[in-house]
Amino acid sequence: MMYLSSILLLAGLLAAAASFFYTLYSIFWNALRIPEKKIKMGLSIGRRIYLTIRNVLLQGKLFKDSSGGIMHALMFWGFVAFAGYSATFFARGIVPSYQLIPAGLFKDVLFLTVDIFALIVIVDVGYAVLRRWVIKVPRYQGYNGFEASFILFLVATLMVTYYALGVLRLDGVSAGITGAIMEGIPASYTPISGFFASLFPGISGSSGLDLYWILYGIHAIDFIVFLAYIPTSKHLHLVAAPLNVLLSKDTKPAQISLIDFEQQKRFGATDIRDFSWKDYMDFYSCTECGRCTYNCPAFLTGKTLSPRDIIWDLRKVVMEEGPKLRHAGIEEKDKILTPVIGEPISEEDLWSCTTCMACVEQCPVMIDHVEKIVDMRRSLVLNQGKAPKETIETYTNMEMYGSPWINDPSTRGDWAKDLNVNILSESQNDDFDILYWVGCVASYDRRNQDIAKSIVKILQKAGVRFAILGSEEKCTGDPAKRTGNEYLAQNLATANIETLNRHKVHKVITGCPHCFNSLKNDYKEMGLEMDVIHHTEFINQLISLGKIDLKALESDDKEKFTYHDSCYLGRYNKIYEEPRTIIKTVTSNFEEMEMNKSKGLCCGAGGGRLWMNENVGTKISHKRMEMADKVNATTVVTACPYCMIMLDDARRVMGKDEKMQISDISEFVASRLVQN
Amino acid sequence: MPLNIIVLIKVIPDLEQIKANASTGEVQTDRIPLRLETLSENAIEAAVQLREKHGGKVFGLIFGKQESAPLMKKAYAMGVDEGTVLTGYGENNPMHTAEVLCQKIRTMQFDLIISGNQSADTYTGLLPGIISSKLNINLLSNALTLSIDQATITVRSSLDRKIQNLSSQLPAIVSVTQETNQPRLPPVMQIMAAGRKQIVTEAAQVADTANVKRISNKAPKSERRKQLFEKTDEGIVAIVKAIKEEIR
Ligand code: SF4
Ligand code: SF4
Repeated sequence: MMYLSSILLLAGLLAAAASFFYTLYSIFWNALRIPEKKIKMGLSIGRRIYLTIRNVLLQGKLFKDSSGGIMHALMFWGFVAFAGYSATFFARGIVPSYQLIPAGLFKDVLFLTVDIFALIVIVDVGYAVLRRWVIKVPRYQGYNGFEASFILFLVATLMVTYYALGVLRLDGVSAGITGAIMEGIPASYTPISGFFASLFPGISGSSGLDLYWILYGIHAIDFIVFLAYIPTSKHLHLVAAPLNVLLSKDTKPAQISLIDFEQQKRFGATDIRDFSWKDYMDFYSCTECGRCTYNCPAFLTGKTLSPRDIIWDLRKVVMEEGPKLRHAGIEEKDKILTPVIGEPISEEDLWSCTTCMACVEQCPVMIDHVEKIVDMRRSLVLNQGKAPKETIETYTNMEMYGSPWINDPSTRGDWAKDLNVNILSESQNDDFDILYWVGCVASYDRRNQDIAKSIVKILQKAGVRFAILGSEEKCTGDPAKRTGNEYLAQNLATANIETLNRHKVHKVITGCPHCFNSLKNDYKEMGLEMDVIHHTEFINQLISLGKIDLKALESDDKEKFTYHDSCYLGRYNKIYEEPRTIIKTVTSNFEEMEMNKSKGLCCGAGGGRLWMNENVGTKISHKRMEMADKVNATTVVTACPYCMIMLDDARRVMGKDEKMQISDISEFVASRLVQN
Repeated sequence: MPLNIIVLIKVIPDLEQIKANASTGEVQTDRIPLRLETLSENAIEAAVQLREKHGGKVFGLIFGKQESAPLMKKAYAMGVDEGTVLTGYGENNPMHTAEVLCQKIRTMQFDLIISGNQSADTYTGLLPGIISSKLNINLLSNALTLSIDQATITVRSSLDRKIQNLSSQLPAIVSVTQETNQPRLPPVMQIMAAGRKQIVTEAAQVADTANVKRISNKAPKSERRKQLFEKTDEGIVAIVKAIKEEIR
């Protein structure tokens, strides 16, 4: 019996391992041979290890959804401990006298951990079943029900047979078997097994032995099936996700790479060769958990865009076309690879994205959806000249006028004419310490000019020596870049960088998070190093340095403030606290809306959406205003001209203009400056 | 049947940026960026679509000034295969423009000429008709759709309140409207290829007969009240009140 079981075990394990590694081989072949997109990988080892410890071992990113997160973390830790058990199980099963882990305290403690975690895993499985099929947590619905139930079944069986074998051991059934698992572990180190043993009448003799071998067989087969099944299912993430975190890129998430138009031949992502190997790791790591989709503003307001589907669809194409390419030979790409846009990924979905980064922020395995979406937009715009009609008009304007709207560029600085501001296009007087980058929206949009004027008022009050570029300032290119028109974006950036260098600008303050992100991150990639500060940070500094004083609010009980996070300030640049600190220096009557800070709901304007029509479902901005209404806010404070346009419009259209106003943080501060 | 299509392209100063001297009313067009007239873009798009369907070549013709030449690049990027810029444009004079263009066209092999039905800087709308008569070919005006079968062109022509089908033997001249199509955004490959393409410039061979005289082209005087309604929420009511007072 012993002999036979050794051989069967070895054969089963080898077969499972062969299938496991063959699948892995083919998957990694795809990832290493098909992609042509190059990426930067300069991240330091230390940082990689930090990220891996935080996000894999400690399961850091999972806790953004607390209940599901805790469950997954426990499951993960349970499995890590269980791996030790399984290794011992197979080692002793194949070579009965072999001690993989020498007897002693370590082994005892390991088995104690296993004994406790196995129970937690069983409870977890029960909880997962409850969430999926009883409570019906929306983000799981409609996704791979069979696969999920099969995996849960395997896991549960593995744990149940573990306990059953443990109970039989305590009954003394396996005492005579040399390779029996757990022999030698003190009974006190398997307390849960002990508890179960106390529930059942003892069993012994040949019927006990038969039962032992049956359970032993089920446990072994279960493990073998699990091993073989992993790489073909969404549980590939068990292998891919830790690797994906360890191999994180050097660039910030959602940072859109540059295109070298002289060197590169293919622009954007048309088929699966146009992604990077790292993107493939992203596809393989996706667990289909749906956190991305259920935080996506487009999805939440009834659009068909689902970031999970984008990742999963691309993965499916890779899994389908990869093997074909492997058989036909890598040179056959042109024949075998088919465009991913249209089918399975619709153009409409690509244009629905606001590039808000909520998906990226929520994804537990650090998948970057935004970069892929913009890459596919690039394919449409740069190769086929395809974009929504409004977007094409925006491009023409940016090209002609250096602004997304039709505006005479010579009037760009007109709003500041009577404010005693150094307008560089007129004065050419480079005697200033800091440049105030106004941006298109605050330069031309009537409502937003008030933001610009407030910023001027604050800077002047604090005695800051600043200047604006006036008609020499052009759109930073953000709306072009995020809609995929990298060519136009680079032209605008090049012109602006030339202007900034000519005026020897080293420090910039801006009131627009989109300009802020472009100047700070996109321009940096193009070689421009400047100190770029958003006005929320700057004003906060001025207050803490005592350069400006604010009046405390008097009518505190009548007014209620809330703050709407801008995606490009918050998730993109991690500025969450400064605006809140500023508001709280004036009033304590502040309440957060639901979905705030890193979970903040987009206003709907990013990714060039400010200039596109939003005809499907509810308007994102309206959903946001409902949230503001729920906390009875009288003033929604913003820190972004895009948000200002969207929310101010929503407020009017929804008939809330009587009771609610939108105020930029600069207006909030400028109207409360203490004059002394 | 592969087609030789000539598309007539007009370069104009960007009208959004034209300013009038406040005291003299004189219109300042110097140092204003130039652009392709939007209807010329519709014409290019129509020509390129026909070429994509039937094969052949699209030839762009600009009658303008030396400064207009770089604008041919945009036409190339949009799909024009070859182009010539005729220089020597002075004032708006459709007879003269037609004669210059026809002289060039007579030296060329063509099946079809496409142009915008007018242009935003002068709005005469005369050019397609004059060319039609000078070259003695049919004009199919205000075409919403264009289709070619053998050597016959058929268009859906938009009249004021009516749409009618017109067809003619080739060669012919067709004028298009803004509704005809949505001019394409040039793909980057084509923009870059356009940058490397040659632009031929030739001096126009016909002297301006100066049979059109400009009497005046001054901006009407407008006196601004400069009233600013700061509170946007009260806007409409306040503005209505102000207007009522004004017209009383
Ligand atoms: S970036 Fe925002 S809008 Fe785009 S897919 Fe992600 S969550 Fe949705
Ligand atoms: S992309 Fe990330 S968040 Fe979205 S389903 Fe996959 S693992 Fe979950």
